[in-house]
Amino acid sequence: MDTLLQNQKSIIEIKDLRKSYGSNAVLAGFNMVLREGENLVIMGKSGSGKSVMIKCLIGLEQPDGGSITVMENDISKLDREELDDLRTEVGFLFQGSALYDSMTVRENLEFPLRRHKKKFGVIKDTTPMVMEALENVGLANTINLMPEELSGGMKRRIALARTLILQPKIILYDEPTTGLDPITAKEILLLMMSIQKKYNTSAIIITHDVDCARMISNRMILLVDGINYIEGTFEELSISTDPKVQAFFK
Amino acid sequence: MEKTTSQKLQLGVFVIIGLLLFILAVYFIGDKKQMFGKTNHLSAVFNNVNGLQLGNNVRFSGINVGTVRGIEMINDTAIRVDMLIDKTIFPLIRKNAVATIGSDGLVGNMIINILPGKEGAASILPGDQIATINRIRTEDMLITLDKTNKNAALLTTDLLKITNEINQGTGTVGLLIKDSTLAEDLKQTMHYLKITGKGSSESIIKLNRLISSLENKNNVIGVLKDTAVANTIKSVVQNLKQTSSQINNVIGNLDTTVVNIKGGKGAINYLSNDPKLVRKINSTMDNIKESSFRLNENLEALKHNFLFRGYFRKQEKAKLKEQKKEEEQK
Amino acid sequence: MLMNTFSKIIELFKAFLLEVGELSYFAGRFFQETFKRPFEFKEFLRQCYNMGNRSLLLVAVTGFIIGLVFTLQSRPTLQEFGAVSWMPSMVSISLIREIGPIITALICAGRIGSGIGAELGSMRVTEQIDAMEVSGTNPFKYLVVTRVLATTFMLPILVFFGNAIAIFGSFLVENIKGKVSFLLYYNQVFNALEYGDLIPATIKTFFFGFAIGLVGCYKGYYCKKGTAGVGLAANSAVVFTSMLLFIIDFIAVFITDIFYDL
Repeated sequence: MDTLLQNQKSIIEIKDLRKSYGSNAVLAGFNMVLREGENLVIMGKSGSGKSVMIKCLIGLEQPDGGSITVMENDISKLDREELDDLRTEVGFLFQGSALYDSMTVRENLEFPLRRHKKKFGVIKDTTPMVMEALENVGLANTINLMPEELSGGMKRRIALARTLILQPKIILYDEPTTGLDPITAKEILLLMMSIQKKYNTSAIIITHDVDCARMISNRMILLVDGINYIEGTFEELSISTDPKVQAFFK
Repeated sequence: MEKTTSQKLQLGVFVIIGLLLFILAVYFIGDKKQMFGKTNHLSAVFNNVNGLQLGNNVRFSGINVGTVRGIEMINDTAIRVDMLIDKTIFPLIRKNAVATIGSDGLVGNMIINILPGKEGAASILPGDQIATINRIRTEDMLITLDKTNKNAALLTTDLLKITNEINQGTGTVGLLIKDSTLAEDLKQTMHYLKITGKGSSESIIKLNRLISSLENKNNVIGVLKDTAVANTIKSVVQNLKQTSSQINNVIGNLDTTVVNIKGGKGAINYLSNDPKLVRKINSTMDNIKESSFRLNENLEALKHNFLFRGYFRKQEKAKLKEQKKEEEQK
Repeated sequence: MLMNTFSKIIELFKAFLLEVGELSYFAGRFFQETFKRPFEFKEFLRQCYNMGNRSLLLVAVTGFIIGLVFTLQSRPTLQEFGAVSWMPSMVSISLIREIGPIITALICAGRIGSGIGAELGSMRVTEQIDAMEVSGTNPFKYLVVTRVLATTFMLPILVFFGNAIAIFGSFLVENIKGKVSFLLYYNQVFNALEYGDLIPATIKTFFFGFAIGLVGCYKGYYCKKGTAGVGLAANSAVVFTSMLLFIIDFIAVFITDIFYDL
């Protein structure tokens, strides 16, 4: 499988990414490639710049230096319109689900469709799309509930449905299992895998959860001191003797 | 979705009522300022508008009939005031009506009062200009009054000296007898002095009454109690009192003098030897005439002052009533 | 020691200048984004409803009480001068010119300003604002522009309500204590009022509303991470807005005064 993936063309390329807050250099020349159809797990300690990296990728943060190419578009050269168009192809699952508190589940799911109508032409009735996305995460009955009425795991799944509704080619997961109990976390991971199979998406998963990485990763990158410290499959890395790498698998 | 529809409805009601409140306020304010009614222009030229402002009210016989719409300097002493007057009032204002500037209450805004003209004149037409009276301001009036008082005081001391001299037999009264015109003058002077004395004592009583009434009234005029104006008025009254008592003295002295002259008593021969004194007496008498005239003028001015306007008007009315009664009796 | 205090004061002053600068930049961005399409009309209406209708009761109650209390408190003094008949003019002028706008604005700063600060703050903290950005909706337009416009247009209307109710409250006191008829009261009020009282005060309220929305959004939008950040955003939104309201009020009165003299 790995060899197969290696032949696939890359859809995200990050070269020499730099970002610092004040005197604190969070990213100091990070390099990375995401190939089509692969699940790339990026592991790192809290505050190691994983989230910053992924936010630079989608244009939520401006890097200080380096280049980011997403589906052959240089992020820094896109204007707002083009960036929005690109974002329909890149889904983002936020750490805390980030459901809009003041809207129902249905409105939450409809929200991305407001702007991204272009991709689907004129949508007269959004209900089938909302229902399909909800069925994908197995929560079709929650359509008229408010986010505060949902449990943490359900919220995460609704957020996933919201990400899926635009049928993106790439999904960025920011700590998909954080804050969930192990069983719910496993459910979410299984869901992620089934979605990948169904829609043939590529994914970058940011996590510090070893179980998560073991289950889902095709390939892993360890982010240490702001650079891509080591790269390899879960098996390769887990037997590494490097103390810095070993620290993650304890 | 239903929820948002009712929300929209509620929002609509909220906004419309809110705007309605504003529009009503705008309308009512404008209504009071005669902005929306049918109005016509009227103008008057003043030489001092005493701080009149655009939008101030115009009153005709005490009723609000319009507002001031324009104040314009025509030349260095004339200011044209343009007024918007209710159309329906136009037939009632005659061409000989007179506009004056006053204040609405003691501390209120300035207003224009149009006093009705005498019967017989034609009604005014839109765009007409009516006559004005410029009121003497309180301050000016008090200054003149003060000066007059000082003059009167000087005069009376002089007179007192002279009459005393005469009474003591040291004067030169002889000439008085020889000069008939002088005697006539003396009589006339005495006459004036009497009137003045009476007038001033009367005015003192009036002023006293007025001031005490002001003090009694527990209203905005109470403010006046503390102001410099009030103090000035008080001192004026004091002066007037002094002056009038002195005048009374003089009159008394003169009376005895005249009696003495008539009776052939006194040191008449002294007079013939002192023409200087005669001239002095002559000029003194002129002064007395002038001062008593001035005092009268001041009282006239007082009448026109807004503070005392009401009082004097009442008096005039009473007088008119009496006259009517008399006419009826005849 | 003295140097220490001195440098501290300089630090504080610097922080203040920075805040003012950032807020000005934020306001500039607001104007830029306001005139860009698309306009989030539905959200604007929703915010108008939230801020207008939902604040009405609060504004009405406070306005009514202010009208009552203000009249009751000034009555003895006016009575002493025998000038109770001046009450309607005095009350209406002070309410329309100053008390109505500023009290309503302060109440709205407390209710709406802190609400916006807390809402946007928690949206920032839970990455909802980022999520919007990623969904292709400009969160500045969707959240900030609609809210600032809503406060700007709703506050004047709330002030009209507040003024009307306050004057009605004042009338009730006069009616009960002084046996003043409605017609007389109405006559007195509108005789005393002039456009010079109403119009500048109304223009002022638009600025009040703008300040409430802008500061609330600014504090919320740039909220620091964490729950404490949300509380701080709500709190500082109210404090900063209240201060700003008085400054705007001072400037407004100052300018009105200049025009009055002309």
